[in-house]
Amino acid sequence: MKTTTRIGALMTAIAITAAGCGSDSAPSAEEPAADPTPTTEQAGPDTTDDDESVAAEDVTADGSTTGDAAACDGEIDEPVTVTAWNHAGQGNEQDLMTEQIADFNAGPGAELGVTVAVEFLPDGTYVETVQSAAATGDLPDALDFDGPFLYNYAWADNLIPIDSCVPDDVERNLLPSILAQGTYDGELYSVGTFESGLGIYASRSVLEENDIRIPTSPRDAWSAQEFDEILRTLQAAGFEHPLDIKWYYGGGATAEWYTYGFSPVIQSAGADLIDRSDYRSADGIVNSPEAVAALELFQQWAEDGLIDLESTDDLPFQEGTVPLSWVGHWLYGPYEEALGDDLVVVPLPDFGEGSVTGQGSWNWGISSTAEEPDAVWAFYEFLLSDEQQLRWSSTIGAPPATQSAAASSELFGPGGDLEIYIDQLSTSSVARPQTPAYPAITESFGAAFANILLGADVQSELDRVADEIEQDLVANDFYPATN
Amino acid sequence: MTATPIQPGIAPAQPTPRRAGRRGRRSDGRAASGFLAPGGLLLGLFVVGPFIAAIVLSLTNWRLVSPLPTQWVGLENYRAIIADSQFWIAIRNNLTFAVLVVPLQTILALAMAVLVNRPVRGRVVIRTIYFLPVVTVMTAAAVIWRLLLTPDGAVNSVLGTITFGALEPNWLTSTTAAMPAVVLVSIWQGAGFQMVILLAALQGVPSDLYEAASIDGATRWQTFRHITVPGIRNALIFVVTVTTILAFRLYDQVVVLPTPAGGPRDATRTMMLEMVQTGFGRQLIGRASAIAVLFFVIVLALTALQRALFRESP
Repeated sequence: MKTTTRIGALMTAIAITAAGCGSDSAPSAEEPAADPTPTTEQAGPDTTDDDESVAAEDVTADGSTTGDAAACDGEIDEPVTVTAWNHAGQGNEQDLMTEQIADFNAGPGAELGVTVAVEFLPDGTYVETVQSAAATGDLPDALDFDGPFLYNYAWADNLIPIDSCVPDDVERNLLPSILAQGTYDGELYSVGTFESGLGIYASRSVLEENDIRIPTSPRDAWSAQEFDEILRTLQAAGFEHPLDIKWYYGGGATAEWYTYGFSPVIQSAGADLIDRSDYRSADGIVNSPEAVAALELFQQWAEDGLIDLESTDDLPFQEGTVPLSWVGHWLYGPYEEALGDDLVVVPLPDFGEGSVTGQGSWNWGISSTAEEPDAVWAFYEFLLSDEQQLRWSSTIGAPPATQSAAASSELFGPGGDLEIYIDQLSTSSVARPQTPAYPAITESFGAAFANILLGADVQSELDRVADEIEQDLVANDFYPATN
Repeated sequence: MTATPIQPGIAPAQPTPRRAGRRGRRSDGRAASGFLAPGGLLLGLFVVGPFIAAIVLSLTNWRLVSPLPTQWVGLENYRAIIADSQFWIAIRNNLTFAVLVVPLQTILALAMAVLVNRPVRGRVVIRTIYFLPVVTVMTAAAVIWRLLLTPDGAVNSVLGTITFGALEPNWLTSTTAAMPAVVLVSIWQGAGFQMVILLAALQGVPSDLYEAASIDGATRWQTFRHITVPGIRNALIFVVTVTTILAFRLYDQVVVLPTPAGGPRDATRTMMLEMVQTGFGRQLIGRASAIAVLFFVIVLALTALQRALFRESP
């Protein structure tokens, strides 16, 4: 009896240890953050170009698929099944996408002989799944991916340019921001089927009680100084931490929220994440005096307790203990439900050069292994139809991707609660830098932003960001054009 | 594994004819390799194979998604890692974590094992409760702990009440408290597993030794010090070794708990995190492989050192 217990325990121990060791060598899916590492230059002899390592084979095999990748010819020759990957999304996104695909398969799909077979993959590991599949050439025909990674896939020829697929009238109807996001190196690689945007959600009554001006367009946004006073007024009025910035989004898997949500701060001050003229340097841009000053002000707000760094959900704003919430369009639904008519959305503050918001969201591309791009495009065109656009934007609360849908939307159209998002998208939004370096940029900037809010020296954090971006560029030979 | 003298159940081997004995051993060997095969195959396929691949990859600049050709870069990845201050921060954090967790967790596990080894009512239930955190998925547990450790969370309300508000650290975002938070959660999760191993060892300590000690008038401390501890020496060594290894592959907790992942100002950045971020975030698989190889070497060295310091008794 005693001996068996002992042996049993030992076996368990060994099994668990073995399992543990196994997972050491297999990194689980994870995220970006910051870290400075010296460059990987081609220290080895350049002549050993195509070596015989496993890696080289994959990369070459991958590259060679580009030459014969199909383009759209406007015809679907025979009935096809389009394999698709979709990120599972938040809330009811997956349900709606499932319905939309069923409707496509039963309607236009059936007419054209196209069936979309979708596989939903979990959000948390989506990027890693796609990247691994891209590295081994196992991508489906159609897939969506978050804005940050588009240029990487386009650069690596995992996607085909889709200019030949998009009819002129459809292209003209897309919001300029959608086209800007989908373009890399002069060619269109993807289309978003919805947009995104940032704003400060506020309780109208609280603002009015405290005699706070309510801006209605990005042109008359609060200035940074004005916003500073507003935060202090509200704190004096009894709100312990008046500004919610969704600090908790950044704790888990990704730093992307901090970059998406707060690079507009430095952009509004006249700085940027990288030099967009040639995407070859960030030094003097991301760590410019303007960027430092803007983030020092932000840091001051955190230090003075004006920013809520404690919440772990959206309740404080919904319950009225925090009167301002700096967040994207996706919380309109829950917020509207909680505050009703008292809810107002105002543009982000102007840090000197005008209010700026982010843009771009998940978007769809056609992989270079797709045999019938026309069939894939037929599905995307269905998603871009007014009917589907309105269905998506009214259910999910995301700005539509097309001008016609935006104009006819109750929420986003003229006079709608969220008209400001469309206004921003056509006047004051800034796309993510169109470079394959973006994953490195967001990883670095996101971590720096968090550190700055926790009291790190702004200048040295931003210097580090510039340095890390530089390293990534050098490690990838400045992302040369490969075609 | 314990130093049990002569097992009463095992009688001295019967003298058998030589030939039969050898045949017996040979069929034993076949059976042994039969039993080993599935495990060996899986280990080879999922541990040894990938590890050899990692060594090869660490000498290249393979990028995860890139049209550029992969090139041999020799030891460049290793040079870059060693010159990287963040890698040293990660190692330092791993060491700090190990120095805190290994003794604390082992002592706690030993205390728990001694407690649940006593003939009290419902001890099976108590054992199960102590073991529960082990079977909880760390990531899920960490999400809950994240809620408990918020500035207004349950942990701080208890601490605040006990210390009259003097001690209410900002567990997840303070550079000084983030590592203790990770340590706390890790011990909570890991101690139960070690308790079971130590408990098994405790039950293997022959009771006649205790009887002899009590006849000789030994105090409880003397009994513990001179009979229990030597009796479970090998189990303790095993536990310390395994905990040290596990301490170095710290990952889940540091990703989920502090803000941002890697901790406020890198306070909880670890080698595993560094590796995953390098490979998947920055897409530098070559360099991430080099980190994996270095990680292996460090853990191997530490384990070898421990083996040399604490010899298991035969």
